Amino acid sequence: MVNIIFKFFIAISCLLIFRGLLAEPLLDGADFDYGEYLSGQCVTCHQSSSDEGIPAINGAEALYIAEKLMLYKNKELENEVMQLVASALDKEQIASLAIYFNSLEK
Amino acid sequence: MNNLSRRSFVSFALASTSLLAMPAISTGSARPKVVVVGGGAGGATAARYIAKDSKGAIDVTLIEASKHYYTCFYSNLYLGGFRDYDSIGHSYDNLSANHGVNVVHDWAISVDSSARKVRLGSGATVSYDRLVLSPGIDIKYDSIDGYSVEAQTKMPHAWKSGTQVKVLRDQVLNMPKGGTFAMVPPPNPYRCPPGPYERISMVAHILKEKNPTAKIVVIDPKNKFSKQGLFMAGWEKHYPGMVEWIDNDTHGGIKNVNPETMEIETDLDTFKADVACVVPAQRAGAIAMNAGVTDGDWSPIVPASMQTKADGNIYVLGDASVASAMPKSGFSANSQAKVAANHIRGELTDSRVFPAKFSNTCWSLVATNDGIKVGANYKAGDEKIEVVDKFVSKTDEGNAKRKKTYEESIGWYNGITTDMFS
Repeated sequence: MVNIIFKFFIAISCLLIFRGLLAEPLLDGADFDYGEYLSGQCVTCHQSSSDEGIPAINGAEALYIAEKLMLYKNKELENEVMQLVASALDKEQIASLAIYFNSLEK
Repeated sequence: MNNLSRRSFVSFALASTSLLAMPAISTGSARPKVVVVGGGAGGATAARYIAKDSKGAIDVTLIEASKHYYTCFYSNLYLGGFRDYDSIGHSYDNLSANHGVNVVHDWAISVDSSARKVRLGSGATVSYDRLVLSPGIDIKYDSIDGYSVEAQTKMPHAWKSGTQVKVLRDQVLNMPKGGTFAMVPPPNPYRCPPGPYERISMVAHILKEKNPTAKIVVIDPKNKFSKQGLFMAGWEKHYPGMVEWIDNDTHGGIKNVNPETMEIETDLDTFKADVACVVPAQRAGAIAMNAGVTDGDWSPIVPASMQTKADGNIYVLGDASVASAMPKSGFSANSQAKVAANHIRGELTDSRVFPAKFSNTCWSLVATNDGIKVGANYKAGDEKIEVVDKFVSKTDEGNAKRKKTYEESIGWYNGITTDMFS
């Protein structure tokens, strides 16, 4: 029984480490306070709850936010305003925004 | 007491007492004090961010005469019948209730920058450690011969939102069949560069439905304007033959206006209007002039912080500032407010100060579900705010995209007003 629990623990740990390794590059260098400051630019348009016209992003997965911003930055997603915003963000700024918005209540 | 009756003596004594009692609005704390003058896109945002982010460490007072703020942005959509008037009105109650901002409904009359005090219309004074001026624009009534404060009921400028936009809407709705609406846009620089042309679109939208033989003549003191190709293509598509835009080189200059005869005289011709919207030249709100932080009509600022070049304790936001490449827009003022708020908190509470980051997008509505936009990112150069990158809608982008752009603008309106007032 102990052996099974141990194996289960190892498996979960590996999964978390693997996931962490995957996540790390996009969220590397994240700075919560900087994210809070940078978020001022986002909340001119994005509201905390309403999706009318512009999606709400509070509480979204950090990786999801970072990936989306990278796609806008590389012009692989369409929307001129978002492409413009993302083009002016470096990787650390994107990571900072991602962890900050993730921390907010939906 | 011979010549002074008992009654007038008592009145005089009471008045003296109240004058003595009035001088200072004390907020009763040793916290650093920030006073914000003007509760629009710059001022309301700055007050909210400084109070919210300092978590009570800074005492914030907002001086704003109006109890209800009617946004200039989207006032054209009210004019065109796309929004009702109440939907562009906002209260300051949440700034007090949610963030502890001390909201004082009064006029700021003068600034004593050496004593760091603002004098209010009531006679009271408010002390500050840092002062944020976001007074918007004043109209230069004497910039057009024949125009005046009195003329604005006959030929409303309607450039500060509020009741004048209501007056203009009523005039357009009651215009004689087949009549002429004349628009005189302002010369550069002015609040909301695409605004006059969105206004023309909204008037055309009403007339197409209610008065389709009416005409619109635009007598412009400029030879080009913001989003010109997009607007002109839109007018031709939705309102063919209705709008005639005459540039300055063609009419040769606006000589005068006559509110009694409803005439606008140029070198080329005299235009007679049934309804006229005349928007004169503009300058920074009077309090910026009074504070001694202007150079000419506007207030030069330090790009990295929005501090005025004249006085490091005074910040000027939005329309009143010389923000160089940034247009005078609500979005710009909101963006600048966050840079200033971050800097002020850093100065007063040693919180971290991050590099200035500015952005702007201006959405305009040309017709039902036909939205267009122009936007840019900016950075703080040593002397000026500089463009980093920009975009503008395309003339051939299709109806679905235009509808989406309009819907996006509704999201933005809700977003920015939440960012100012929640």
